[in-house]
Amino acid sequence: MEHIRLTRNRREFLTDAFGGFGALAFASMLAGETNPLAPKAPHMAAKAKNVIFLFMAGGPSHVETFDPKPLLNQLHGQKRPKEFGEAKYQFVGAEAKLLGTKRTFHKYGKSGIEVSDLLPRTAQCVDDIAVVRSCHGDMVVHSAAQYQLMTGRIIPGFPNMGSWVVYGLGSESDSLPAYVVIPDPKGALEAGQPMYTNGFLPAIYQPAMLRPGNKPILNLDLPKGVVTGERKATVELIRELNQAGPHAESEEFAARMNAYDLAFKMQTEAPEVFDIGKETEATREMYGVGKQPTDDYGRRCLLARRMVEKGVRFVCVVSGGGPGNMQWDAHEDIEENHLRMAAQTDQPVAALLKDLKQRGMLDSTLVVWGGEFGRSPEAQGGKGRDHHNLGFTMWMAGGGVKGGQVVGATDPIGLRAVEDPVHFRDLHTTILHQMGLNQHALSYLHQGRRERLTEVEGRVVKQLVG
Amino acid sequence: MYSRTFALVVGVALVAAAATVTERYTEAERRHWAFQPRKGVAPPKVVGATNPVDAFVIARLAKDGLRLSASSSRETLIRRVSFDLTGLPPTPAEIDAFVRDRSPKAYENLVDRLLASPHYGERWGQHWLDVVRFAETDGFEYDTHRTDAWRYRDYVIRSIEADKPYDRFLMEQLAGDEIAPGESEALVASGLQRLGPLRKNAGNQEVASSRNEVLTEMTNLVGSGLLGVTLGCARCHDHKFDPIRQKDYYRVQAYFAAVFEKDIVTAPPEEQTAWKARKDAHDGDVKKIRAQMRGLKGAERERMARKLKDAEENAPEPLPAIFSVTNDAAKMTPVHVLARGDYGNKGERMLPRPLGVLLPDGAPELAADTPNPRTQLAKWIVDPANPLPARVLANRIWHYHFGRGIVATPNDFGRMGTRPTHPELLDYLANELVKGGWRMKPLHKMIVMSRTYQQASASVQEAVGHEKDPDNTLLWKFPLRRLDAEQLRDAMLAVAGRLNAQAGGPSVIVPVDAELTNLLYKPSQWAVTKDVKEHDRRSVYLIHKRNLRLPMMEVFDAPDMQISCARRDASTHAPQALELLNGDFANDMARSLAARLDQEAKSPAEQVDLAFRLAAGRLPNAKEKAAGLRFLKGHPLREFSLAMLNLNAFLYVN
Repeated sequence: MEHIRLTRNRREFLTDAFGGFGALAFASMLAGETNPLAPKAPHMAAKAKNVIFLFMAGGPSHVETFDPKPLLNQLHGQKRPKEFGEAKYQFVGAEAKLLGTKRTFHKYGKSGIEVSDLLPRTAQCVDDIAVVRSCHGDMVVHSAAQYQLMTGRIIPGFPNMGSWVVYGLGSESDSLPAYVVIPDPKGALEAGQPMYTNGFLPAIYQPAMLRPGNKPILNLDLPKGVVTGERKATVELIRELNQAGPHAESEEFAARMNAYDLAFKMQTEAPEVFDIGKETEATREMYGVGKQPTDDYGRRCLLARRMVEKGVRFVCVVSGGGPGNMQWDAHEDIEENHLRMAAQTDQPVAALLKDLKQRGMLDSTLVVWGGEFGRSPEAQGGKGRDHHNLGFTMWMAGGGVKGGQVVGATDPIGLRAVEDPVHFRDLHTTILHQMGLNQHALSYLHQGRRERLTEVEGRVVKQLVG
Repeated sequence: MYSRTFALVVGVALVAAAATVTERYTEAERRHWAFQPRKGVAPPKVVGATNPVDAFVIARLAKDGLRLSASSSRETLIRRVSFDLTGLPPTPAEIDAFVRDRSPKAYENLVDRLLASPHYGERWGQHWLDVVRFAETDGFEYDTHRTDAWRYRDYVIRSIEADKPYDRFLMEQLAGDEIAPGESEALVASGLQRLGPLRKNAGNQEVASSRNEVLTEMTNLVGSGLLGVTLGCARCHDHKFDPIRQKDYYRVQAYFAAVFEKDIVTAPPEEQTAWKARKDAHDGDVKKIRAQMRGLKGAERERMARKLKDAEENAPEPLPAIFSVTNDAAKMTPVHVLARGDYGNKGERMLPRPLGVLLPDGAPELAADTPNPRTQLAKWIVDPANPLPARVLANRIWHYHFGRGIVATPNDFGRMGTRPTHPELLDYLANELVKGGWRMKPLHKMIVMSRTYQQASASVQEAVGHEKDPDNTLLWKFPLRRLDAEQLRDAMLAVAGRLNAQAGGPSVIVPVDAELTNLLYKPSQWAVTKDVKEHDRRSVYLIHKRNLRLPMMEVFDAPDMQISCARRDASTHAPQALELLNGDFANDMARSLAARLDQEAKSPAEQVDLAFRLAAGRLPNAKEKAAGLRFLKGHPLREFSLAMLNLNAFLYVN
């Protein structure tokens, strides 16, 4: 009986929805009944509701950005002194010489945290930022390191943290996907699609991979030559025929019709979210939209804010794509590469933080910045730096994270995290914790094992969360 | 108690102990149902049940006061069994013939015809490809294409179609290169051992780590895919729930210590020489361009970079080869227990030995230089006294017929898996399988000929059924099932009259949006198959690329090909609706279906009838017909066709 009532109401809803959006509240109620993405209560009080991960693909150099190392400049051109220990790189070997940085560092904000001149605008926000100088991971090659950063494992096949978060908390939006990746339009990354996907979690937890251009979500637009009115009649016919057929009252079929309702809502409402023309001139300018080289990343950061505002749970905004030097992967020339990459992203990143703060959204939005590793203190080929996973910098802001502080430290040449090391799994644990999720409780039984994002136990970085 | 007979067989195979094995397994550990010998059960006596499957199912239902539902209609039945055995819908002519056939053997004849169809091999081959996580690319950053991997896919389809005994089938895949090094069939089969993802990096190759990943992959597959135990859980520590020690894990891995990839070129020597000349010339050209690039800057450099890219993409196609493996004793990887699974943290050296819980305590390892080690492993696996593999296979077969296994976790028969709903039936089926020489078709036939399989998907006992057995695990009605990704795509092609039924051969690459190929590290890898007719082939023949799955397959829960997939989800969500309403493929199929309806049916009434017969396997009911006719008065046939491809009556089998 329940479902007969439901389906009749759903039809009314659809009629309403086409005429306007009067039935929105009702739609969410419906969604709760048959939609596995319905919001779920966190395991504990949550500080953050949303995450924006600013993924600096390829591995930005810590010693050129947030981790000043005067000794490195003094030792420039020499071999690494023995007391710093061994390191395994992808390319450079034992004969490599240390490379000093050409960047200069200054103290910013009340906190007086040092940031390099590569990121002057981000530096202005440093009092909102917790700089983690002691990050480390297990892999020194892109694909495996990207898998570990994104999924906690060094091999493909495991769910991205975005899928995990949505699995744990559901979606706050019924017209937008809950987990969105905005790749760099310049190209793909080494670990490819599998690093973003839902792995063994059900397909509802897969990301929407936004595409460049005017049609960011696959299949959101009507095919050429089909007009909305016509398609509306088609969807209505589907509904009518489904109700006339066998098993019309089954729960599964109700869920299917619900999926069509949600699809329709996405189709009508999502394009509006993607239209950044709706923002004021001042906002767009702040993000660097409309001028080079910030236009692309600025648009995507602005889009991330607009989506979070509409309840999208997890957004990953990628900087870097295509061949190595189009990422932060500065093997050949650290100066050329990082000046270019920083120029594209510094203003948009700072704008995002300011904008979130102005709108009172920063408290509930956890912003995370970083790559799959940092870069070697040694030179590669004279001017470049190799991959480096033993100690590097990431940062967090908002979402209950205590800003204006530095967590951990690397040794005096930036080789190894020596103080309060933060492994990727600690980072994951902390992100989950801020979202109100417990790393052990957030598990999924897969082939005999209770799988979780952190595989083995990570720790909440207490200093970060205050 | 473990099986005495089984232990003896293994005991004979194990010679020349290398080290004393000290782990012990308690009686309690050995007592877990899956490790117990299969029972020689006879079907219970149930009045009116002539099919053994029915006897077991009806007897179990009766305990809860339930019974089977009524028989399905002929139309429902032919659609169900056709999708199940061949993955394709029946044609209207096939439906008519079956409905009209008054012979008492009508259904049996239909089943025999479907089991003999080449499409049976394609459908059930896909199931096996899921289990072995078949893909044709390396995965990881380069996701290099394995141009000859399709031969393994064809081998699977061919073997299943021919009902090759499962023991032979496994033997060929685990040890084909050892038992029949001169037979291409067996060499292709042993390609199984290199199907997993493979990490190749520029610069630091991390050879030891990559090798460890390959061995890990293979060991996990033997565990979950063939034995139905989560052996992979014991890589880092003793299994937390099942009697599998970490040493067991590395002892199974040790069987693969000497296996390495091998591409066996089949071309005659003169062709190989000619190819080598072409290849050398090409490599020389590439080298020259690289040399010219040195020191160039700006536009000049970019021009040369483009030239280099073109040259690299125009490398001579590799000669056809068999994608296989071979033992190389000299390069053998000594297998050690790895603390927390970390290859840098080596413990005691391990030699080959099967799972300890199925052996007498203290059973020795094989010597390190045992010839043909994988043959030994395969023999142990397919030994009829091994309690696991026959149960695992019987359960998989049941799982694919009913959408849920007797054990609902087909890759995990351990304590974290579910208990069998019908343990005696499982043993009965497993025993039948072994008795029948490990052939699958007789088992299929027994199952699909049962009343259990032929019952309707709606029952007059809904209320009591929902109360006693809400998930229908006891089968008081036939479970309603959504088509899986391949069935759906293939059925759309079939209904639209577009299906190209050609079998076998190199995999097909269909066009996708540039936005998708741009997500590849090397977009040029997605080289669309030139002959457009090929694009309409069955899904099993489309390329299985780890880093680019077709969105349509992805949203309908096709597996990700990274790890063994025992059971597909059947999720329901908005992107599916978007795919079927707005996707290029759906709209293309709708146009073709509209053209077909226009051509084959004269009036709107006939068009509605035909559309239902094609898509739902039946005529529309009065309401459906009226709705269809009303729609066609004001809307194009193309939109009506699209609606048909979105209907529950099309997407579900009842």
